[in-house]
Amino acid sequence: MTPALDAKANEILLRYEQPKAAMLPLLWLVQENQGYVSAEAEAWVGRMLGVARSHVREAVSFYNMFHTKPVGRRELRVCTSLPCLLRGAGELMDRIRETLKIGPGETTPGGEVLLTEVECLCACEIAPMAQLDERYVGPLEGPSVDSIIRDSLTQPGRPESTPEPEPYLSTDGPVLSTHFKDPGGTWLDDYLTDDGYVAARKVLTSMTPQDVIDEVTSANLRGLGGAGFPAGRKWSFVPKETDKPKYLVVNADEGEPGTFKDRYILERDPHALLEGMLIAAFAIGSHKAYVYIRGEYFRSAKRLQRAIDEATGKGWLGQDIQGTGFDLDVVIHRGAGAYICGEETALLTSLEGGKGFPRLKPPFPAISGLFQCPTIVNNVETLACVPFILRNGAEHFARIGTERQGGTRLFCVCGHVVRPGVYEEPVSITLRELIEKAGGVRDGNRLKAVIPGGISAKILAADEIDVAMDFDSLKAAGTMAGSGGVIVMDETTSMVQALDSAARFFADESCGQCSPCREGTGWVHRILRRIIDGQGSLRDLDELLAIAGDMEGNTICVFADAAAWPVQSYITKFRDEFEEYIRSGRSTEQKETAECPA
Amino acid sequence: MPSLTIDGREVSVADGTMVIQAAETLGIFIPRYCYHPALSIAGNCRICLVEVERIPKLQIACNTPVSEGMVVHTKSAMAEDGRRAVLEFLLANHPLDCPVCDQSGECDLQDYYMNFGLYNPRFREHKVKKQKAVELGPHVMLDQERCILCSRCVRFTDEITKTGEFGIFNRGDRAELGLYPGDVLDNPYSANVVDICPVGALTEKDFRFKARVWYLSSAPTLCNGCSQGCNVDLHYVLDRPHLNDGARVARIKPRYNPDVNQWWLCDEGRYGFEWLDKERLTKVRGPSQRSTDPQTHGPTDSQTQTSWDQALQTISAALAGSDHEQGSPRIGVIASAQLTCEELFLIRQIFRDALGAQVTASVPEEPGSSDDFLIKADKNPNTLGATLLGLAGPDAPAAAQIVDAAIDGNLEALWVFGHDLVELFGEEKVRQLSEKVSLFVYSGTNENPTVPLAHWVLPSAAYVEKDGTFVNCHGRVQRIGRAFGPIGDSREDWRFLLELAGKLGLSFDGSGPEGIFRGLAEHVTAFEGLSYDTIGTQGVALRTESVGL
Repeated sequence: MTPALDAKANEILLRYEQPKAAMLPLLWLVQENQGYVSAEAEAWVGRMLGVARSHVREAVSFYNMFHTKPVGRRELRVCTSLPCLLRGAGELMDRIRETLKIGPGETTPGGEVLLTEVECLCACEIAPMAQLDERYVGPLEGPSVDSIIRDSLTQPGRPESTPEPEPYLSTDGPVLSTHFKDPGGTWLDDYLTDDGYVAARKVLTSMTPQDVIDEVTSANLRGLGGAGFPAGRKWSFVPKETDKPKYLVVNADEGEPGTFKDRYILERDPHALLEGMLIAAFAIGSHKAYVYIRGEYFRSAKRLQRAIDEATGKGWLGQDIQGTGFDLDVVIHRGAGAYICGEETALLTSLEGGKGFPRLKPPFPAISGLFQCPTIVNNVETLACVPFILRNGAEHFARIGTERQGGTRLFCVCGHVVRPGVYEEPVSITLRELIEKAGGVRDGNRLKAVIPGGISAKILAADEIDVAMDFDSLKAAGTMAGSGGVIVMDETTSMVQALDSAARFFADESCGQCSPCREGTGWVHRILRRIIDGQGSLRDLDELLAIAGDMEGNTICVFADAAAWPVQSYITKFRDEFEEYIRSGRSTEQKETAECPA
Repeated sequence: MPSLTIDGREVSVADGTMVIQAAETLGIFIPRYCYHPALSIAGNCRICLVEVERIPKLQIACNTPVSEGMVVHTKSAMAEDGRRAVLEFLLANHPLDCPVCDQSGECDLQDYYMNFGLYNPRFREHKVKKQKAVELGPHVMLDQERCILCSRCVRFTDEITKTGEFGIFNRGDRAELGLYPGDVLDNPYSANVVDICPVGALTEKDFRFKARVWYLSSAPTLCNGCSQGCNVDLHYVLDRPHLNDGARVARIKPRYNPDVNQWWLCDEGRYGFEWLDKERLTKVRGPSQRSTDPQTHGPTDSQTQTSWDQALQTISAALAGSDHEQGSPRIGVIASAQLTCEELFLIRQIFRDALGAQVTASVPEEPGSSDDFLIKADKNPNTLGATLLGLAGPDAPAAAQIVDAAIDGNLEALWVFGHDLVELFGEEKVRQLSEKVSLFVYSGTNENPTVPLAHWVLPSAAYVEKDGTFVNCHGRVQRIGRAFGPIGDSREDWRFLLELAGKLGLSFDGSGPEGIFRGLAEHVTAFEGLSYDTIGTQGVALRTESVGL
C-alpha cells in the first residue's frame, strides 16, 4: 500500500462522519488500483477505518463486485436474470461460454477477460445485455454478440465495436422525461435555461420547510422506489427539535429486476435530482446528503458527480447556496453489488460500512437512521418529481394522477414487447394501455402474464391487465406497483422456468440475516431446480406454497415476502402448467422456435 | 411502568423493557437463539416470534418494547406456527449429526424442537456443505454446518472482548461463520463463545468427545483461579470411569452472577482444573523412623504411609509441647489464601491464639496476568478473607520471616498449607529448615518439590471437595460448594484442623463449615450477622468500611 493510496484514503475519510463509512470507497480504491482486494489491502482498510479485518472481509465477501484474487484485465458481466432470460440471455451466455471457452467465474487463459454471471443489472430495456467493465451493452443479439466477445478480448481503452444502446425513452414529459433526449445528458446551462433551479430558488427564498412539506403532501407524491409511502408525510416525521444533524439519503441503488428508470435520471437529467434533493434537504433541515448509487452504475455516478461539481461551481450546492444562507453538501457513495441495499435500512447499514443488513424497526430512519441521526431516504425518481411540484404547484402534479397518487411515473416496460423502454405516463394508465404503448406483445404472440412492478410483485395473468398502474389500484388487484418495472411474458414463456429464475434471484440476493429468508430462499430454489431437472413431485407444489407462507411476514425486512410472492402467485395462477411440467418432466409450453429461459 | 398482559397474566415492567424480558418476570420462557441479555439485539433468528394483539404480523419478543395495555400471546396457534416455521428453516440445512455432536443434550435446536417444533420435516433437498471440525484456537472448535448464524459469538468478540475475531462471511444460505483466514481465536475469554453458542457450532476442544453431557453432574461453586471469584458450575462424572479419561472433573462453566462475572469466565480459570484429578496427595505420610519424641527427631530421608489418627496424635503432641511462654513464638504457620475463611479462622484460633504461633497467609508471589475485565493479578481466591482475619496484609508477618526463623533455629515447628516453599525460597533453604525444625508439616492437595522435604504430609481436599467461603477482591463473600468427596484419604483442611483442635483440647462448633462460619461471624466484625443462608448462591458484599475498600 503506497503513500499515495494513504493520502487518497484520508481524503475519502473526510467525506464521512464516521470512519467505518468509508469501507466501500476504500475497497473500491484498492480494487481500482490493484485489480482486486488482497489480504494486505483488507488489513490496510481495517487499519485506516479502525475496524477488525474480519469485518473488512465480511464486507468484501458480501458485495459481489469485489474480487479477492487477481482476475482478467477486463470483466464481462452477463445478466441472466428473468427479463434478460426472456429475451435470450441463456443462449447469449452459451455463445459466450463456447467462444471464450470459459465458464462463469473464470478468466480466459490469456488473462484477457473474466466472465461473470450476474443478477439483474437493471438494463432490461436492452435485454439481453451485459456490462463490459463499466459500459452497458445490449441488446446482444445477432452481430453484437460477436462484437462484445471481440471487445472483451481487446485491451481496455481501445475503441470498441459494440454500439451504444438506443432503447426507446419518453422524452416529452410532462414531469420526469423532459431532459431525456440527449444521450450525453442535460447539463447545468441547459437545465437553467429550461427553468432549472427555479423551484429551488423559490423554496430557499420564499418558503418555510413546513410550506414545502405541505406542498409535497398535497401533491400526493408517493415514494416511487416501490413502497409508495407519501413523501411529504415521510418528511414530516423528522423531529424538529433535535441537536443531531439530519441526513438526506438518496436511494439510487436501483436493483429490482425489470426496473431501469433511475439510471436515466442520473445520466440524462442529474440536476433534476439535485434540485429535488436541495428542496427536500431544506424541508427536513438537512445539510448533508448522500446518494447511494449501485456499484454497477459507473457512468451514472460519474455523470452525477459532474453535475454536483457544476452545481457547486455555480453556487447551487455547498455553503450559503445562492446567498440564502442554506448549506448542502452532497456525497456520492457507490454500492458494490447487493440488491438488498435497495432496502432503505440495509442501504444505511451499507453506507455506514457494514454488510447490507436491514435493520430492526423501530427505530425508523426518520428518528434514528444514518449514524443514529434523523434520516430521510428517498428514491431518485421521487426526488426528481419535486422540482416540478414546487415549480408548477401541487395541484398541477396531483391532477395528473389519481385521487391518492399524483403525477406520472417512468414505467419500465420489458420482456416480450415490441419496443421495450422507459415510458413516462400518468399513473392512471392501465397495464393494457402501457403494453400497447410498448408496441404490444412481440411477434403477434398471445400475452400470457405480466409482472407489473418488478420481480417481487405478484404476477398477473393475461386477463388481469385492465388495471390502473397506481399504487392503490394494483394493491387492490392483489399485486403491487412496486418499482414500476413491467415484465411482459408471452405464450412461449415457461412459468416454471420463470419462477426458477426469480427464485434463483432471491436465493442469490438474500442477505442471509434472518433464518426464514436465508434458508427459505435457498430451499425454494432447490425444489424448483429439482422440478426443472424432471425430479419434481406434485407434492412439491403445496410444499412450495407452504414454505413461501412460512417465509412471509416473519423477517426483519420485506425481502422474504418479496421472495414468497412470486412463488405463491405463479403456482396459484398457473398450477396446471406446473403440474404438467412435473408429470412430463419438462416444459410443454414452449414453441419450437421460442427464445426462452434455459 | 407500563402494564401489559402476557398469556392472560398482567405484569408491570419498566419502560423500555422488551417483551421477552417482561415474560421472564412472569416465568414465561420465550425461546431465543440470537437474543442474549449481555449482547446487543440482533433480531435475526426469529424464534422468539409472539402474537401481539392489534398488530397483524408476528413480532419478535426480543425487540418489541412493552407498552401500556399491550396484549401478548406466546402460545397462541399463530405464535406456535411462527416458531414451528422458524425452527423448520433453521433445521433445513442443519446437518442433524447429533449422535456425534458434543452439544447434544444441551442443544437449543434439540430442546426447542421437542418443546416448540414436533413437525414432520419436509426438507428433502441437498444441504449446503460447509467446513466442519475447524480448530479456531486453543480452546474452540467450529462446525460451520451446525451454525445457525445467530451472531452471538460475533457480538461477543465485538462488544465484550472487543477483539473482533469473528465474522459472518458471504451471504444468503452461503453465509458462514469464521475467523479472518489465518487468525486464531486466543483472546483470554475465547471459550465463552462456546457457552453462548446455542447450538453445536462452537464446542470446547478440551471437552471434545470426552463425555455425553447427560452423564455429567453439576455443582455450583467458585473459580479459585484468581481473586475475582467468578461463579461457576463444576461439571463432573463419578460413576463412569470410561468417560472423560477417568477424571472426575469434565469441565467448568460460568454461572451467572450479575455482581461478579455476569455470564463470563476467563479461559485460564476455565481450564485450570487438571490438578483436581492429577498428582494428588492421597495418603497420609509421616517420618519413616518414627520417634515418640519429636524434639530429638532428626532429618528424614523418606516418608512412610501412616494413618490420620497417628499423624494428628503425634503432631498435636509435638505442638502442645512446644513452649511459647518464653517470649518469641516457637511455631510458624504459613497458611494460604487458597484456603476458605472457615479454615483460616480455625488456623488463626488454634495456632495464633491458642498456641501463640507466628501465622501468615502473606506469601510472596509474582503477580499474574490481569486485565480490566475479570482477570486479577492475585491468583488466590481468598486474599481478602485472609486479610480480614489478620493473616495477610500489612499486619501479618511475612512468610520469609518465618522461613528465616526456622533456618535460624528459632522455630521448633513449621506447618505449611499448600505452598511449594522450594519454588518460593529455593530447595537449599527448605532443606535447611527441614533439618532445623523438629516438626515440619505439609498439608496440601498435590505433589510438589516441598512435599518430600516435609516430615509429615497431610493430604488435603481440593476446594471442589469441600464447603466454605471465599472473599473476593471486591469484598464479596461467596460460598464454594462440595461437588464430591475428597480423593483417596485426603481430608478437608477444616476437618483435620477440627480434629487437631480436639486433640489440643480446644472446642469449636464441630458440625462443619457452616458451624465454623457461625463462629467466624461472631468473632470477626466484617462477617457480623452473616450466615450461609444469607450468603446464598450469589454471595453478599461485605460492608465496605470493614473491608477497607
